[in-house]
Amino acid sequence: MVEQIAVVAVIVMVLSEIMGGVVGLRIMLEKQECLSHKADHGATVRASFVVVKVHGWRQSMSSGADLVVTGPSGEQIRDFRDKTSEMFEFVANKEGVYRFCFTNKSPFYETIDFDVHSSYFFHFDQEHAKDEHFKPLLESIAKLRDALYNIQYEQHWLGAQTSRQAIVNEKMGKRAIYKAVFESAALVSASGLQVYLLRRLFNRRLEMSGF
Amino acid sequence: MATRVKARSELIPYLVFIIYVITSFGGAVWLEVPSTGTKCVSEDIKQNVVVIADFSVVNDDSNPHNTFNIAARVTSPYGNNLYHQENVTHGQFAFTTTEAGNYLACFWIDESHKATTGVSVSLDWRTGIAAKDWESVARKEKLEGVELELRKLEGAIDAIHQNLIYLKSREADMREVSEITNGRVAWYSIMSIGVCIAVSVMQVFHLKRYFRKKKLI
Repeated sequence: MVEQIAVVAVIVMVLSEIMGGVVGLRIMLEKQECLSHKADHGATVRASFVVVKVHGWRQSMSSGADLVVTGPSGEQIRDFRDKTSEMFEFVANKEGVYRFCFTNKSPFYETIDFDVHSSYFFHFDQEHAKDEHFKPLLESIAKLRDALYNIQYEQHWLGAQTSRQAIVNEKMGKRAIYKAVFESAALVSASGLQVYLLRRLFNRRLEMSGF
Repeated sequence: MATRVKARSELIPYLVFIIYVITSFGGAVWLEVPSTGTKCVSEDIKQNVVVIADFSVVNDDSNPHNTFNIAARVTSPYGNNLYHQENVTHGQFAFTTTEAGNYLACFWIDESHKATTGVSVSLDWRTGIAAKDWESVARKEKLEGVELELRKLEGAIDAIHQNLIYLKSREADMREVSEITNGRVAWYSIMSIGVCIAVSVMQVFHLKRYFRKKKLI
């Protein structure tokens, strides 16, 4: 009995150790980039992406990226077009390598923050309720661990969104200054041009009428 | 006694098989390194965070005989080289961040191999609490089983709390920038109108003086 508990404890520890990796990476997207993730049968795969920065001045127009998720045998699981941020999940019906391919339609480089994370205990109740090897306490601990990893995953997404907003805010501040300076310069030069043209017109008229 | 020993020895190969099966599926991501050029991934990391990463070339089923060697380089936000390894199929690196910023890890296929297709590299990148060495903590404080699991959960919760505090401070910075920009936009609009009015008044005075000089008024 004690050995069985010890064995089960080791299994749960190993399981929860492996499931710990919340992978948050930033990639530079030029035209197309693909990432893959190996998922087990029955796992809930959660993924999210945020377009953090567009290395160009046309951020408001045509910003965002396309994402296509394909399964191990090439079937399409998800398709997102022109999204600046997305958070989704799907259940891996087959074990194998799932591909996440990003496409960039704008002419500028984009930095995308991508996060993917497999969770095994989401459907725990249905799958393993009959399995008497797992003691309830260890099972609860594993579920709790999974929930905490989910929170970390969502926090990472929130952090990426905050980065994006910080960059947008800074650009907006700079643009306000440029707009003010440019507008004043344009007004002054328009008015100067007006005065110059009027003077020239009246000079010509006066010359013509012989003054 | 005999039946208990037999049950345990039956369970061990099952356990070993489970561990083998489970460890072959990691929380890793596969990158596709192109035949020419480098593939880089980065992450924005705070100061004093432990980073552990493991990379290895994945044996593709499509070309089983072509295993290319790759090179890897990790640079800090200020450009310092933290890790550089050439002509390897797998490797690992670990460091503690000294400055906050964007840490970059780049991979490329070695020039000696004239590669025509890309190669898949499996990268397991762990920062902060995910990189903590629980085995040494367990040995030092003599924890095992449920107690160790609960200690890990406590570590995870602490990491979440620290992260939340960090996000709050970033939100506060952003809010400050937003409010300054809001104030500035209001001032600049008033300034614009002021410039417009001043310039047109100057225009009127200048033209009046000009017409008076030319005896048109």
